[in-house]
Amino acid sequence: MNCPRLRDWLEERYDIEGIKGIALSKFVPEHRHDIWYYTGGVTLFLFILQFLTGMLLAFYYVPHVDFAYKSIIEIVTKLRMGWFFKSLHHWGAQMAILFLFVHLFGTLLMKSYRKPRELVWVTGFVLLGISIFFGLSGYLLLWDERAFAAVRVATGGAGAFPVVGGFIKAFLRGSIDVTGETLLRFYAFHVAILPLVTLALIGLHLLLVQFHGMSVPPSLEKEKLREVPFFPNVFYKDLMIWLVVLGVVVTLAVLFPPEIGVKADPLAPPPENIKPEWYFLFLLQTLKLFPGSILGMNGETIAILTVSGAILFFFLIPFLDRRSARGERSPLFTWIGVFYLIYFLVMTAVGFLS
Amino acid sequence: MKLKFSLVTRRTFLNTLFFGWLAAFFSGTVYALMRFAFPTLGKEPDFVVLNWKDFAHIPPNSVKPFPWGGTVGLCYRKDDGSMIALKGVCSHMECNVAYKPAERRFYCACHQGWFDADGRNISGPPPKPLETFVITQEGEKLIIARKGVKVELPKA
Repeated sequence: MNCPRLRDWLEERYDIEGIKGIALSKFVPEHRHDIWYYTGGVTLFLFILQFLTGMLLAFYYVPHVDFAYKSIIEIVTKLRMGWFFKSLHHWGAQMAILFLFVHLFGTLLMKSYRKPRELVWVTGFVLLGISIFFGLSGYLLLWDERAFAAVRVATGGAGAFPVVGGFIKAFLRGSIDVTGETLLRFYAFHVAILPLVTLALIGLHLLLVQFHGMSVPPSLEKEKLREVPFFPNVFYKDLMIWLVVLGVVVTLAVLFPPEIGVKADPLAPPPENIKPEWYFLFLLQTLKLFPGSILGMNGETIAILTVSGAILFFFLIPFLDRRSARGERSPLFTWIGVFYLIYFLVMTAVGFLS
Repeated sequence: MKLKFSLVTRRTFLNTLFFGWLAAFFSGTVYALMRFAFPTLGKEPDFVVLNWKDFAHIPPNSVKPFPWGGTVGLCYRKDDGSMIALKGVCSHMECNVAYKPAERRFYCACHQGWFDADGRNISGPPPKPLETFVITQEGEKLIIARKGVKVELPKA
């Protein structure tokens, strides 16, 4: 900082050297799996990008059932750079979800969730759930055919949940069907409620990570690892990777602006070969495995319960994996993690190809 | 005045009072917030009244949609000229169904569910048939009602 008077001004009031000392005392272990450390940072960067592009889009988007679709068309056709920022917001979201999953499975297979970092896992998992809801609410805002059908299916699926399903469904839709009320509600979630919750949770997640320091995979825990300072070594690497990711997102945004479908019409059937966003495909394929009714019970309810059970188990892994909590090897949970990963990949691929 | 015996200490008493007050305050607040956040729901209609003219000339083996509350109903003219009406919403995940004239079946594109010409679920995930309605013609009016519902038209 080449501004001595400002520096003095700040130093008289705050313990700048102390804060510097804290920043410089952060060290990160170096080892052959340390590439996974950067996935969280990339996700954070993409979230920042989403916040910025989202704020810009909010200047022009009109959250009303009669004007929403038209305002999107105007953003991409009439506004200067509108097509670019809309496309950037789209691809930023895709990449954010992708890196969330990469970060999640990295954490799972490195067993970074193990004691004492359970709450880091919990906050991260909730953030993933929120991000998926971000995605769903974001794409309803387009108010095109696909979004309309997807939100009907998703909220209807929540309605198949026993006891509380009807309540959740009505709360999400704001009406008995997906209507303008739903659009407004999802808009409120997308631009007000979820961003605030996300900020708070990201803050907590990062604070916890700073508190615990970086986790080292169990297989390397016994080895003597070299540690490098976060500032500037790791920080610069972070920035380099962010720059590459920005390059990729911008390239995708420029070359492949997302298609906007036909305006949603509650009276029209959805287009043939309609597919949800790729991160819902594994759920869709799982739902297809269940017949309409099983032993006289509603197959849909059983499907929803099974999926919820599997997700709940996934969420509770840090608390169930007693062996790695004690610092022992835990091959069972490695296999469970690999199973989840393969299931996710295979089902997503099947969904893509079918 | 000092009591000789007391079941609670002064601190317990005050704490109970304080947290009781806090609980009452927040439960009231949360209740009010939830009441506001939870929508007043509409209701699916028991019947709709349409213009007979609009539906009298549907060609055979085709459908014409009509609004059924917030969703869609389909008037379907079969090959033999008879007409039925059904709710055009899949019983699986509530996507709208499309009529396939070549197969003479209804198809849901969301999860590949099929229904036959009478709305019975024949393949794919749908657990139930499509809901069918009762059609009555009264002069110029076409009344489409849910089964077992008594239609009472408002007097003009």
